[in-house]
Amino acid sequence: MCNNHEHKKLTSNNRDLQEIEKQLDRRHFLKKTSLGLGAIALGSLLGTEKLWAAGSQEQTTEKILAAYNKNRLGLPHHLPKAKRIIYLFQSGGPSQMDLFDYKPKLTDMFGKELPDSIIGGQRLTGMSGAQSTLPIAPSTFKFKQYGKSRAWVSEVMPHLSEVVDDLCFIKGMQTDQINHTPAITFMQTGHQLPGRPAIGSWLSYGLGSDNENLPTFITLVSKNGKGQPLKASLWGNGFLPTEHQGVQFRSGKDPVLYLTDPENYDGHDRRHMLDYLSHLNDLQTDTYGDPEIQARMAQYEMAFKMQTSVPEVTDIKDEPEHIFDMYGKDSRDPGTYAANCLMARKLLEKGVKFVQLYHQGWDQHNYCPGGVKSQSKKTDQATAALIKDLKQRGMLEDTLVVWGGEFGRTVYSQGQLTANNYGRDHHPKAFTMWMAGAGVKPGFSYGETDDFSYNVTKDPVHVHDFHATLMHLFGVDHEKLTFKHQGRRYRLTDVHGHVVKDLLT
Amino acid sequence: MNEVPDFVLFLGRFHPLVVHLPIGFLTFAFLLEIFSKWKNNKELRSAIPYALFFSFVTAAKACTLGYMLSLSGEYDGEMLDGHFWFGIATTVATLFAWLISIDKIKFIQLKSFKSNIASLTLLVALISITGHYGGNLTHGSDYLTKYAPFTDKPVKILPPKTMEEVAYFDHIVNPILQDKCASCHNASKKKGGLSFENQEMILKGGKKGLAVVAGDLSKSDLIHRVSLSDHDEDFMPPEGKTPLTEEEIKLISYWIESAKADFTTKLMAIENHSKILPIAASYLKLDGSAEAALPKVAAVDSLVIADLINAGFAIRELVFDAHIYDVVLPTQTASTNEEFTTLLKKLEKIKDHVFWLELEDNFVTDENLQTLTTFSNLTKLKLAKNPISDAGITSLEKMVKLESLNLYETKITASSLDSFLKFKKLKSVYLWKTSITKEELTNFETTNELPKLYLGMKK
Repeated sequence: MCNNHEHKKLTSNNRDLQEIEKQLDRRHFLKKTSLGLGAIALGSLLGTEKLWAAGSQEQTTEKILAAYNKNRLGLPHHLPKAKRIIYLFQSGGPSQMDLFDYKPKLTDMFGKELPDSIIGGQRLTGMSGAQSTLPIAPSTFKFKQYGKSRAWVSEVMPHLSEVVDDLCFIKGMQTDQINHTPAITFMQTGHQLPGRPAIGSWLSYGLGSDNENLPTFITLVSKNGKGQPLKASLWGNGFLPTEHQGVQFRSGKDPVLYLTDPENYDGHDRRHMLDYLSHLNDLQTDTYGDPEIQARMAQYEMAFKMQTSVPEVTDIKDEPEHIFDMYGKDSRDPGTYAANCLMARKLLEKGVKFVQLYHQGWDQHNYCPGGVKSQSKKTDQATAALIKDLKQRGMLEDTLVVWGGEFGRTVYSQGQLTANNYGRDHHPKAFTMWMAGAGVKPGFSYGETDDFSYNVTKDPVHVHDFHATLMHLFGVDHEKLTFKHQGRRYRLTDVHGHVVKDLLT
Repeated sequence: MNEVPDFVLFLGRFHPLVVHLPIGFLTFAFLLEIFSKWKNNKELRSAIPYALFFSFVTAAKACTLGYMLSLSGEYDGEMLDGHFWFGIATTVATLFAWLISIDKIKFIQLKSFKSNIASLTLLVALISITGHYGGNLTHGSDYLTKYAPFTDKPVKILPPKTMEEVAYFDHIVNPILQDKCASCHNASKKKGGLSFENQEMILKGGKKGLAVVAGDLSKSDLIHRVSLSDHDEDFMPPEGKTPLTEEEIKLISYWIESAKADFTTKLMAIENHSKILPIAASYLKLDGSAEAALPKVAAVDSLVIADLINAGFAIRELVFDAHIYDVVLPTQTASTNEEFTTLLKKLEKIKDHVFWLELEDNFVTDENLQTLTTFSNLTKLKLAKNPISDAGITSLEKMVKLESLNLYETKITASSLDSFLKFKKLKSVYLWKTSITKEELTNFETTNELPKLYLGMKK
């Protein structure tokens, strides 16, 4: 660090900024004085004068403790079951009755009109609401029961059917949203409008990091995704400090953009530059007190660490053949769902808390049988492999795996129904998700739908309940993890949500 | 009684407010009388008639309002009668006392009789009795004496120690009713005519119907009312009181539906008790829940934590301020066994605080495992990819709390299988990439339920 310059408090030529510089309002005064006093009190409580002594050793200790205490917000509230999570988001709304929610009675009702009593006055989308007829479209796929748990799985998921005894199906999922963007946003942030923190951001904020060299919350998106677009607000930090936002890893040469040094620069003095920069930023913080400056500093540090940690963790060359074989041949092609599953496992092994994977293309408005088949082909083997791989490494017992989309699909055909083709529209009132691993009952199925997979007849689980349960598995009471923003306290589940205890071991 | 206009009931609720005025005035008059006698101060005496007059007026008002309040029918008959007549007697006596004090009534023939002090003493006695009845009506007859010394305490029902001991009504249903409902539904304050005082009262129900109908939830108004939306006018308990939790509602529903509202049955004697068992166990805190299993340990000096983090450990507290930790030594932090041994020495400082521990790929040897056996609260241990053998596993057998042991890619062989049976709580062992074969594992599984062994895919 350069010590030749004296640093004064920052001053600006701008009038407005000068006003801010002069400002020492009540809140700042109280914060600064009370924190200062608090620090002194803490020092004496710790019973050590060492903290105050000069010297690098003590400074390190102080820094370490500051980092360690930063995220101690009174959490976890209770003993967690899950240490980390991989959320396999199936974007578009997978058709539950073509995959897991077996409805044998539909076969005899082929082409018949879906009774009004089942629709129950629900407002349909503009895409099928104007149809003169809503003919029942039974799944063209064969279903069989698998495992000790005798779970029904469609023939399009042959690999997943091998691991059903590890899965916990939730057949009565319900959401409030009928269209993609609000529904995905709702599923990922607990609110249909963008701007709230994602689940991963909440967990990062509440529980902190397990590996300071990698982000706590990482997003992977299958490449060449078609269908409804995904956007960064889905893994955004909302009003939480910026360092808790999800960091997207891309496929290809640069998994994280702008991490590599520019040409002809070897990076030897980067550490020096960052130290000086953080010194300047400290001054800025003192003057303006904007917490985002600190968040920015944390991000610079993270980027610096990721320069070495990311190439290391994204390098899958060391994986043995049989692992690639297990995840399927796509897994050698970076950016595919299979490759991302493999990458996700590596990230989880390195202590990343939340890996959010997205796979698009589950929006089968038409050509549903073909679409479901090809989507399953791209995801089935790798999904099952991930479960097996986590299990053999002993990680499944403290890793939560979640599979699901933003809503389900209708039993009636959107567009023309033929013997082997139909389309399905969005359906928020009933759909299937599954979880596996840490703290959820293996080989278990929860909730039931009616004969049309249209209404939940037993044990509904609302998105808010799902969020509450997920947080619970991490030792977080969803009602207690809050953040004050614009005058009120927010939480992931807003004012809703119940932990579904029946799903827990 | 339903035809009582709301306005009358509204006024009636001012009774508790107004009723304190005559108490104050009367006591004031009595103290003035005593004081003036004692100090021989005649001037003070001139205030007594006014105090008595005010107390008569307010007492009469209190009587009227009290009568209005009693029309709601929420109060117990006998106690109410006492309060009613004593209240009227007090009011009438106050009127006489006032007349005496202004010399409208004279006891000429009894010259020595000190009519004033006598009437005032009588009044204080009367109003005390009236007040006592009133207090009992509002707060319940045992309110005053509940914590009094030398009274017989009601027989305490001891909390059950095992699920077998659980009497469903006494240990589960009644405590919920007493906790959440009985402040308004008791022997003397029967809101809506309903009381949860005893078996007869519970089955009798209230004015609007039966609270509990054995075997029929839809007819049991109790369940209906507590399950309504909390905005509903009929929702119970009313605003401001703590509502029943979902678990509590489930527990009572189960009692009505499955136990047919049996007041004496044991939980285990109910036919399909397995359905309610987990909820009941967690309500009674008999489920050995994670919280209960947490070891009690003292705080750790934060400098020790800092030192460990500095040495390379990742440390996370598992429950805030419970001082138990999830400790991870990132893979390949130690590059020799000497390095690891030094690290382990540091970790020993918090050995009773480590709950979960990962030491994957860090040159851990059998000797190090000896040290690990002293980590008394360890439940999860990951030793994968370390040069450890069957001998090391034998020494770990002492670890009575260990539930999960991860040994994949280590040198252990099938001879460790017998060792696993000697662990007290071991549930899962991970054995992928060891020399243990599928056949050996299958053999083990046919004879032993636990621990579960996981092998993983073949190479």
